[in-house]
Amino acid sequence: MTPSYDNTYTMKERNVLIIGGGPAGMEAAHQLKQLGFNPIIVERNDKLGGHLAQWDRLFPTSETAEGLLERLKENIKDVEVRLNSRITNIEKNAETFHVTLSNNKNFDVDAVVICTGFDLFNAEKKQEYGYGIYDRVITNAELEEYFKTHNDKRIDEPQRIGFVHCVGSRDIKVNNTYCSKVCCATALKQACEIKDEFPDADVYCFYMDLRMFGKGYEDLYLKAQKDFDIKCVRGRVCEVSENIEGKLVIKAEDTLLGTPMKMTLDLLVLMCGMEKSKGADEIQKMLNIESNKDGFIENLGAFVGMNKTKEKGVFVAGACTSPKTLPDTIAEARSTAMEVYHYLCNN
Amino acid sequence: MRPTFDPFVIPFVASMTFVLAYCIIGMIRIVFQLPKEDRRKFLRSLITPKIFWKNIKDLFGDSLFHVKIWKRKPLLGYMHSAIAFGWFMIIVVGHFETVALSPLKDMHLPLWEKLMSNLYMPIFFRYFAVEAPTLNAHIFAFLMDFFLLVIISGIVIAVVKKKRPRKVGLKRVTKFGLKEDLVRISLWTIFPLRFLAEASMANISGGSFLTKFIGFDLLFGGHYSETLSYILWWAYSTDLAIFMTLLPFSRYMHIPAEAFLILLRNAGLKTTEPRKGYAVAEIYSCPSCGLCIDVCPMSEVKENYRNTAVYFIRNIRKGKRRRDVKHKTEICLMCGKCIEVCPLGIDSLKIKMAQREKTYYKIKSDFEYLSQQTTDNRQQTVNKADKVVYFAGCMSHLTPKITRAMTKIFEYANENYEFLDKEGSICCGRPMMLTGKKEEAKALIEKNTEMIKKSGAKRLVLSCPICYRVFKEEYNLEGIEILHHTQYINELIEKERIDVDRSDKRYVYHDPCELGRVFGVYDEPRNIIDNIGLLTQGKSDKDMAVCCGGSIASLTMTKEERDEITKNAIKDLTLNHPEEIVTACPLCLKTFARFAPIKVKDIAEIVEENIVEN
Amino acid sequence: MIDFGFSISKSSHIQMDDVDLKTFKKLEALNPDINTCMSCGLCTATCSAGNFTDVSFRKIILMLQRGKDKEALQKVKRCMMCGKCMMICSRGINTRNILLSITRLYNEEEK
Repeated sequence: MTPSYDNTYTMKERNVLIIGGGPAGMEAAHQLKQLGFNPIIVERNDKLGGHLAQWDRLFPTSETAEGLLERLKENIKDVEVRLNSRITNIEKNAETFHVTLSNNKNFDVDAVVICTGFDLFNAEKKQEYGYGIYDRVITNAELEEYFKTHNDKRIDEPQRIGFVHCVGSRDIKVNNTYCSKVCCATALKQACEIKDEFPDADVYCFYMDLRMFGKGYEDLYLKAQKDFDIKCVRGRVCEVSENIEGKLVIKAEDTLLGTPMKMTLDLLVLMCGMEKSKGADEIQKMLNIESNKDGFIENLGAFVGMNKTKEKGVFVAGACTSPKTLPDTIAEARSTAMEVYHYLCNN
Repeated sequence: MRPTFDPFVIPFVASMTFVLAYCIIGMIRIVFQLPKEDRRKFLRSLITPKIFWKNIKDLFGDSLFHVKIWKRKPLLGYMHSAIAFGWFMIIVVGHFETVALSPLKDMHLPLWEKLMSNLYMPIFFRYFAVEAPTLNAHIFAFLMDFFLLVIISGIVIAVVKKKRPRKVGLKRVTKFGLKEDLVRISLWTIFPLRFLAEASMANISGGSFLTKFIGFDLLFGGHYSETLSYILWWAYSTDLAIFMTLLPFSRYMHIPAEAFLILLRNAGLKTTEPRKGYAVAEIYSCPSCGLCIDVCPMSEVKENYRNTAVYFIRNIRKGKRRRDVKHKTEICLMCGKCIEVCPLGIDSLKIKMAQREKTYYKIKSDFEYLSQQTTDNRQQTVNKADKVVYFAGCMSHLTPKITRAMTKIFEYANENYEFLDKEGSICCGRPMMLTGKKEEAKALIEKNTEMIKKSGAKRLVLSCPICYRVFKEEYNLEGIEILHHTQYINELIEKERIDVDRSDKRYVYHDPCELGRVFGVYDEPRNIIDNIGLLTQGKSDKDMAVCCGGSIASLTMTKEERDEITKNAIKDLTLNHPEEIVTACPLCLKTFARFAPIKVKDIAEIVEENIVEN
Repeated sequence: MIDFGFSISKSSHIQMDDVDLKTFKKLEALNPDINTCMSCGLCTATCSAGNFTDVSFRKIILMLQRGKDKEALQKVKRCMMCGKCMMICSRGINTRNILLSITRLYNEEEK
């Protein structure tokens, strides 16, 4: 039987709580608004956009993060957004959720969409890479920041630059055994960009596997090799130290040649992977939702149940369930909106 | 006049003779198995006055009073002392009583008959004696009753321990088979039976508060039955015989063996072979008490409690089960907690090391390439006398925060130092030795020795406790002082060569096994932390500190098993909500960092962070 | 056979059909984690002995898998057992025990 949703008369009064105002949250809110519901975005920061607001340009097309963010924001200008707000309590009543915010405001919603996204891996945990010890070791996020502001004393006409892939990903020694999905493409994008800034520099990417799976990613790889002379070395960096001149000395194995190698660098960029956002822990506790073995939020399976959780009326979208690229995130936010729609119309 | 012999003494006399013969033969075998040097050392120790007195002291302190158990678990200490010392006193007082009051005293018997009867007379004295209303007799009767009561009280605790281990402060006790159960029950019943037998005829042979008043008057209602009494004496003797006959094949062999072990240990002997000589004395001295089970980090994974020292020793004693012994030998983290709690101080780790050395490796190591490495002759521009060499070790190269903190500390202290293995090092040799390749490790030891000697330094500072141990135990670095950086930094602070700021930050210190239990470096790190912040207590520390789980001594432990140990150790450490965990070993640091909810730092790091620039 | 004064040299290919993996199967049974290596190269790069000679845990395993036992054993012999590779391995492989198992299972004389 095809369900028919003739009872859409109450839609306007139906509130949907969107936890997190990043790309997933904004897109889910946009779609739900279009469908006639009343989404409410709760964001703990003072602005929308999540990590997207910190990036400069996006792979594989190099369009600006700002452009995408503006479009996402434009879509939700009619949506109720509560910035600088934390959720202090969510209580499930029969069919609704009673939400209390940090400013003591409270309201009822009919469904919840968790869009808490991710945190970047804390590179200090990988002590052997020397982040926080040596000045010239920086993270992917710091390099994005540099591209935006061009204000970072540590990046001073580097002659030789290294990128380390898989920092905090695919590594049991930091308890993250998954692939963070975005670092390979980000590294090549950033490698091209920094080569653009410093055309005389030699840029090396230390990778284990180059996972260029998305549309246009392989082209990015080719462009990096052909147009930017980026050298990809298959081998994980094991140790970083500093020599007397204050330059970095890295050790890795060139696994394709089967020989260990040492190299002096002026700048080392760590491609920090994704971990579940710490903020999600509290939300999970309130809603009684567990984490999966990778520490992300457990959804109902990899295929048709991916937007749902085991709690009825609680949905998920974006990188809170696993590392995702932006196109994945936006697509998932849209599909989650559809799931919420079906749920609310059947209730 | 009562008789001076009865057939019921035969089971006891026979079994007693057997045990004595067995033990004497066993001791002779062990002495012959000792390496020549050790044998001479042992025999000489027996006539060295100083060691002789130590032997006497230890025999009383350890075998009879179990001082070590008293310290850890007073109730269990009482249990053991009550049974062991009580029994000893019953034998001693019994002999005096026999000498003083024996019906044989005035008889003219052939010598050997006198000797034989002296063997059983003190044990069954009350059967042969008639109440003598002298003061002496009363005193003896009182003493004998008193010690009997002491023993019985000990047995009551033993029964509780068996049935409800938690009541005496144990989570797990050793599990035994049928044979051990039989021996244990025979032991538990010896003294209750003796009490009943003595009480049943206390109207004739006399007795004191226990046997006469409680036993004869109350329990037997003042009624004497010759048949019942006779049966009880037979039961008592038979029970003794069962116990004595099975003793050499049971864990109670520890009673004679531990006395012998004390003599061997005081002679300065150590295990060299896993199944010969000193090790045998240790193996037979294990009472299977199971105190090592609860403290062993492996017990964190429930099924792994069978890898603990007590089970290892039991299986090595059984002789065969090579595969199982190998497994237990290779999985052990060698943290040494079991030695600390062992009432007998049995060093099962030395047995395991000796066992590892027996492993047959078809492929031999080849360190020929090291000889081609020339240790460069650096220019010695500075005065060698005050030069310090710093050897960080392999592991510290993965923890640059430690090496960086150390170099900064050297600079602050204006030390004349050289970072010997800045560009990477040759391994210290300890990891190699842990795999049983003691001989092959020598190549590494020699190369490092050459390098360090060439540096001309008088002091060697190490960051890794694994290195520290092997440098202390196996290296011949005469004239060079070997220090772990905890000791070195503590000295810098005490001599005011560096200044540190003190804050309210709460730290907890984790004692690395090799630094703590092996060398007792407990005070130096604590003193350093006291100068920097507040030292909080974990659940257990110092000699009871839990292994971090990363130990390279374990060859076969899976990462899942290691992770459980690590998580538990962190739980213990963070008991009183410290802000940071401090340790002094790069391996502990790395291991903890994976799971700790708070920051884990090396002690050098916190010193460097809080140093005051002059 | 006519002697032409030259012969076609032995193929430089690894002839997987001819490789005897019996001992390797035993090694696998003892150390199931041996097959979880993703050849990231950390063990080789960090190796203490690798500073001086060509020890590479990763390559040892690959060589044994491809029947190049003799070459692999030459490397095994030079290992110092320091455990750095175990400490750093991204897959948490018990490298030391695998190396020990190799020295117990393999014979140098064969092949």
